[in-house]
Amino acid sequence: MRIVFIIFIATLSSVSTAKANETVEPFAVPGPIQRILQQSCLHCHNGETSEGQIRLDSLSELQHTERLELLNKAQDQLFFGLMPPEEAESLMPQQQTELRNWLRAELQAHNASKLDDKLLYPSYGNYVDHDALFVRSALEPAFTPARRWLVSPQIFHHRVMDIFQLTDRERTGYATRSFFGVTNPFILPDHSGVRDYSITSLDGGHLLVMLKNAQWIASKQIFAAENKGKDRNAIIYSNKQDRWFPQVTPIEFEEIIVSVTEPTEDQFLAAIVKQFQLVLRRPPSTEEQTAYLELIKSTTQLAGKTEGLRQMLVTVLLESEFLYRLELGRAKEDTHGRRQLTPHEASFAISYALGDRGPDDTLLEAAQEGRLETREDFKREVTRLLADENYYRGQIDSTLNGKHYQSDVVSHPKIIRFFRDFFGYTESLKIFKDVKRSEGKYQNPGRGTHGTPGWLTYEADRIVTYHVERDEDVFNSLLTSDKFFVYYNMPQEQGDQLLREWQEVYEHLKDTAWKTQPERVLEENLEFLKERKGMRIMDNSRPGELVNHMHFFAESFGQGRKPFTRIPWSHGYTYHHSPFYSLPPTPSIGRYGSWKSTRYEGDRIELKSFWDYPTEQPFTIENRKGILTHPAWLIAHSTNFHADPIRRGRWIREKLLAGRVPDVPITVDAQVPEDPHHTFRERVEMVTQGNECWKCHKEMNPLGFAFEMYDDFGRFRTVEKLEHPENLIKSGDGKGTFDVYKTTPVVTSGSLTGTGTEELDGAVDNALELIDRLAQSDRVRQSIIRHAFRFYLGRNEMLSDAKTLRDADKAYLSSGGSFKSIIISLLTSDSFIYRK
Amino acid sequence: MDSRRDFLKTSLFGIGASALMNPQLSWGSEDKPPMRFIFMHRGNGLWPRVMVPPSFDETLQKKEQQKSAYEVDLNGHELPEWMAPLSNHVDNLTILQGLSGKMCTVGHHSWSSSLGVYKANERVSSIKWATVDFELAKLFPSPVEHLELACFPLGGGNARGSLDGIATGFSARGPQQPNYAFGSPRIAMEELFKSVSKDQATQVQYQLDRMVLEFAARNEGATARTLVNAEKNKIQNYANSIEAIRERSRKVDAMAETIRKHVPQLDPKYLEADISTFDRQIGHAEVLLGALISGLTNVVAFTVDELGHAYTGITGIEGATVNMHDVGHGKTIAGVEAAEIRKRCRTHHMKLVDTIVQRLKSVPEGDGTMFDNTMLLYFPDGGETHHSHGYEFPFVILAGDNTRLNIGRRYIRLPNYGDAGHKTLGNFYTTLLNAYGNPIEHYGALDVGLNAYGIDQTGPMTKLMG
Repeated sequence: MRIVFIIFIATLSSVSTAKANETVEPFAVPGPIQRILQQSCLHCHNGETSEGQIRLDSLSELQHTERLELLNKAQDQLFFGLMPPEEAESLMPQQQTELRNWLRAELQAHNASKLDDKLLYPSYGNYVDHDALFVRSALEPAFTPARRWLVSPQIFHHRVMDIFQLTDRERTGYATRSFFGVTNPFILPDHSGVRDYSITSLDGGHLLVMLKNAQWIASKQIFAAENKGKDRNAIIYSNKQDRWFPQVTPIEFEEIIVSVTEPTEDQFLAAIVKQFQLVLRRPPSTEEQTAYLELIKSTTQLAGKTEGLRQMLVTVLLESEFLYRLELGRAKEDTHGRRQLTPHEASFAISYALGDRGPDDTLLEAAQEGRLETREDFKREVTRLLADENYYRGQIDSTLNGKHYQSDVVSHPKIIRFFRDFFGYTESLKIFKDVKRSEGKYQNPGRGTHGTPGWLTYEADRIVTYHVERDEDVFNSLLTSDKFFVYYNMPQEQGDQLLREWQEVYEHLKDTAWKTQPERVLEENLEFLKERKGMRIMDNSRPGELVNHMHFFAESFGQGRKPFTRIPWSHGYTYHHSPFYSLPPTPSIGRYGSWKSTRYEGDRIELKSFWDYPTEQPFTIENRKGILTHPAWLIAHSTNFHADPIRRGRWIREKLLAGRVPDVPITVDAQVPEDPHHTFRERVEMVTQGNECWKCHKEMNPLGFAFEMYDDFGRFRTVEKLEHPENLIKSGDGKGTFDVYKTTPVVTSGSLTGTGTEELDGAVDNALELIDRLAQSDRVRQSIIRHAFRFYLGRNEMLSDAKTLRDADKAYLSSGGSFKSIIISLLTSDSFIYRK
Repeated sequence: MDSRRDFLKTSLFGIGASALMNPQLSWGSEDKPPMRFIFMHRGNGLWPRVMVPPSFDETLQKKEQQKSAYEVDLNGHELPEWMAPLSNHVDNLTILQGLSGKMCTVGHHSWSSSLGVYKANERVSSIKWATVDFELAKLFPSPVEHLELACFPLGGGNARGSLDGIATGFSARGPQQPNYAFGSPRIAMEELFKSVSKDQATQVQYQLDRMVLEFAARNEGATARTLVNAEKNKIQNYANSIEAIRERSRKVDAMAETIRKHVPQLDPKYLEADISTFDRQIGHAEVLLGALISGLTNVVAFTVDELGHAYTGITGIEGATVNMHDVGHGKTIAGVEAAEIRKRCRTHHMKLVDTIVQRLKSVPEGDGTMFDNTMLLYFPDGGETHHSHGYEFPFVILAGDNTRLNIGRRYIRLPNYGDAGHKTLGNFYTTLLNAYGNPIEHYGALDVGLNAYGIDQTGPMTKLMG
C-alpha cells in the first residue's frame, strides 16, 4: 500500500484571525434600552461597582470587538435566566423581551451572536420552550435550513462499499467489518441523547485520514485490472495481510489501464464520469469535466496512464461532497421562501433517515420518474421501506461484536440506535470498575471482549428491539415493562428441548457410578446418550465430559432448578453477569474442571445454588421496571465507584421532562467529599444544599435519589456498603474472598417535579413509583418525540417546527403508541421536506 | 558540523520553519530551541530487578526487595552491565522505578496503552485520547509534528502484515485515531526525505501529491466562496486544511538544504529487505536522528520491538530467529538462556541510546548542544514482565541540561503499589505535560483498584517538577 502523504501527518492548526486595528464605531444605546439598563443593571454594573468586572455604563466607548463580547455575555445571562439575580428586582416581562430583542438584533447585525451558535448544539435543544412547541405558539410554515450534513460513521462505511460496488455476501460480510486500509474518519460524540447533528464541519483531522483512505481505495479500485489475466497465486501484494480487492475494476478504468496506446479524451472522460457516479452519486458538471480532464492529462503525462488515472480517482475521493449529505433544495422557492428537496436529495434523505445505505432501486426510480414530489409520495416510500425487512437489515452495532458473540441482526438497526442514543446505556462500556467490589463477577472491557457491560448493552438492545418490533405503546413499554432478556441464547422451543434431553440424561444416570466409573457408565449408555443430540456425544472418547455434565445437572436438576442452556466449560463461555440483575449467579467457567479429566470436582468444592434459568424470555425480574432499571443504564449513569444520583437525575430531567440544567460553572469544583460515616446520598446532600448549588441540583437530586435502590453495578440493594478502610470488617484476598464493609440502609425517597401535570408531581418512595408516574406524563411522551425529531432531522427543534412535533405526537397517540408512525409523520413533515 | 541555529538564522528556511512553530515556544521567535522527546518502548516486559545498580549496598538492596521508596545519587555507582553503553551519560541518566500502570492493558500486548494510559486493545474504538507523545508534539510543533518508527510484530495477537510497510503504530493522534508507523528504515527514508530524493520515481510521486493537493485546494476553495455562514465554514475548514498541508509542503521544500544535509547516510545494508532486527533498530535510530536534527520533527515514538516480533541478529546467535514469546516463557534458544537473550537485546538497545545521545550532543544548539533540549525515555509497553500485571513500569530516562524536570543522575524508587505516595504512569505523564506547558489536571485513566487504598492518584509528581 502506498501512502504518499504520511510526511504531512500533523495536527492542522486552525488559521488564526489576527485582530485588525479597530476604530471606535459610532454606537448609541437606544433610549428605552438605556432606561432599562439604568433601572435594573447599572446599579451593580457601573464604573464604581463593576460587579463581576462587568460595566454596562460605557458601552459606547468600547471597541467594536469588546462591545460584541460584552453584549454576548449579557445576552447569555438574560437568556439563561441568570440575571438579574434572585435577590435583585426582576425585570418586567416586557422589559425582558425588549432587552433581549435589542441585544439579539445588535449582535445579529454583526453576525456575532454566540447564543445563536450555542442553540444549535444538542445540549441546548431543551432551551426551546416545551409548551410553546406543543401548546402555545402559532403554527408557522416549517423548514430546515439548507445544509451539508456530515455522514455518520456507518454511512461512510456503506459509501465505501458502494464505491467498490459490493453486493450480496461480500457486502453482508463487509457490513460488519472494516476495510484493511480504510480508517473511518468519523466518530460521534460520547453522550446520551442524539449524537449525529448536522452542525459538524470537516476539519484537518478528517482530511489527514482521508488522504490515506483515498490512496488505498483508489489502488484497490484498479487492482483487478492491473492484475488481469494473472494466476491469483502469482499476484504480488505489498502487504500479505491485505490481499482483498474487488474482483472487477470498472470497465471505464480498465480500458485506460490495458490500453496499448495513449488513452483518448473520451476514455478519460468516461473514467471521470464513472468515478463521479461511484463516489458522489451524480455526473460531473461541464466545468468539473473540464477541470478533471486537465488534471488527468497532467498526471498521466507525469507518471503514465495507470498512475495518472489513480491520481484522478484519489482526487474525486477527496471531494468534500463525498463526506457530506447535501440537502440544499430546489432552485425555486415557494411562497414562504422555502425550497423543496430535489427528488435526488429527497431519496437520499429518506434512505439515510431509515438506515445507513443510499436509496434502493425503487426509491431511485421514484426520484427519477417524478414520483417523489408530494407528501403522499414521501409517505408511500417511507412506509414501504419501513415494511421492508431486508434492505437495511444488519447488526445493531458491529463494533459491539466480541470473540464469542455478535450484535443482533434486525431489520432496521437505525431505529434501535435511536433508543440506544436516547437512553445512553452504551456509555456503560466506558465505565471501568474495580472487579473486587463486584465479588469478582464484573469483567471490564478488554482485548477481544466488551466484558460485562458488553453483555448488558447487548441485552438492553434486545429489550428495545422486542418493544420496537411489537410497535405498540412503545414508550410506556420501554419505561415500565418488568420483563428482560438475560443470557437468552436460543429460542424457547429449542431451549426447552435441550433441557428436556439433559434432564432425561440426569434422571437416567444419576444413580449410576458416574462419579467413580464414568468410562463404564459412558460405554454402557452410549446409545442412550447419542440419541440425546443436545449432549453432543458421538462416541465414548470423552468420559470426563460426562462427569462435568452430570455434576452440572446435579447442581441444577438435582436441586429442582433448570440450568442455563450452555455448558460453562464450553469454549469462549463468558456468561457471568446474572448477579447484576440481582439474579442468582451461574457456575463459573472452571467450576467443573477440565472435560479432559474424569475427576469429580464435587468432593472438593462447596455446593452452590445457581440461577433457575427461564427459557421463556423476556421474563419478569423483581424490583425492576423498564430500561431505567436495566443494569446497563444504571452502570452508564454511575461513576467508576458510586451510584450517581446527580447523573441519573439529570438524565431524567433533560431527556424525559424536557428540562434544563446548566453546566457546572467553571468556578465550581464539583466534588463529593470523602466521609467514611455517611452514604453517598448523604454526602451529595451535604455538598449541594447551599443556595447557589441547590438552584441547579434541585432539578436533579430528587429524581436521582429515588434510584438509590440500585448500586453502581446496577444491583438492587437495601443497604449501602460504606467502602472505606475505616469500615472494613473483614478483608478478602480479592479472588475467592472479598472485603466486607459496614453497611447502612439506603434512603430511596425522592420527588418528581416538572411534568406539567399536578397529579403526577410530588414525593415518591422509590424509582419504581417515579417511573410509573413518568410513564403517565404527556410531557415525557412529548420529550421523547422531541428527541426523535432531533435524531431524524439532525438538529434541534425551532418554534417553526411546532406543527411537525404536534403531528408526530398525534400520530403516536392515534396509532396506539407506534414508533413507526412517528417516523412516518416526521419524514413527511414540512420540516423534513423543505429547506430555506 | 554547523550549528543548526546558525544555519536557521542565515537561511530562507529559517524564516519558513519558525513560522510553522508556536510563536510562544518557537525557536525562531524567542531564541529558544524546542524540546525534543524520544519514546523508546519495547515488548516482553522489563524486569525491575535488572534496573538496580549492582554496587548498591545491603541496605539499599533490602529496600529494593521490599520495594520501599528511596532515592540515590548514581554518582560513583556501577551501572547494571547492560547499561554500560550509558556510562558516559550518567549525569543525564535517571532510573525510575515503581510507577504502576494497572489502568493500561498489560500482558502480552498493550497497543497504545503505555503511551495513552488507558486500556487499549485491537479495536480502534478503545483509543480514548491522544497518546502522551502526541500531546507533547502539540506543544513543540514541527513540519512533520510526530514521527513513529517500529519493528513491527508479525506474530502474536497484534500482528501487522509486513515488517517493512507503513502500518498502524502504537501512538494515537486523538480519540479513535491510531497513528501510522514506518516499519523499515528504507520506507521511512523514502517518505521523510522524499522532497530531496534523488530517485526519479519518488520525485514523480512527490510531484503527483502536489498536483492532487493543488487541485483539491482550488476546487474546495471555489465551492466555499459561493457559501455563507456555517455552511461556508463546513467547506472552508476543509479547504484551509488542504491549504495548510500545501503550506507545510512549501516549508519542507524551503528546508531542502537542511534536510539534504541531514539525510541519514546509511550503509546500504540497512536499506535492504531482509535486514536483521538489530540492524533494523540501528537504521531506525539513524532515521530518527536525521529527522530530529534536520528539524522535521521534535517528537519520535520508537517501538524498538513488540512481543510478536521475531528477533534476528542477536549478538552471538545472529543466525537464529528468536521468538520473544518463548523467551518470555524462559526457553533456551540456540543454546542461550532466555535471561541472557533478554540482556543482549537490552544491551543493544542501550547502544542505540548511546548513539542517539552522543550524536545529539555533537550538534551545537544555543549555548550548548541539541541534547540539552532532549529527553529520551526507554520503557516497557506492558509492564514488569512477560505476563505482567502492570504493577511496575521501569523507566530509563536520559535528559539534557535544559530539562524542566528535577531529574538526572539518580536512581528513584517510588512508593510501592498501594503505599502512601504511590504514583502511576498517569502521574508521570501529567508531570511531563505540566512541566512543558500543558496544564492538564491529570493525564490518563485512573486505576480503580487504587481507590481502595485511599490514594489520590491525580495530578503531577511534585517532586519531579523542576
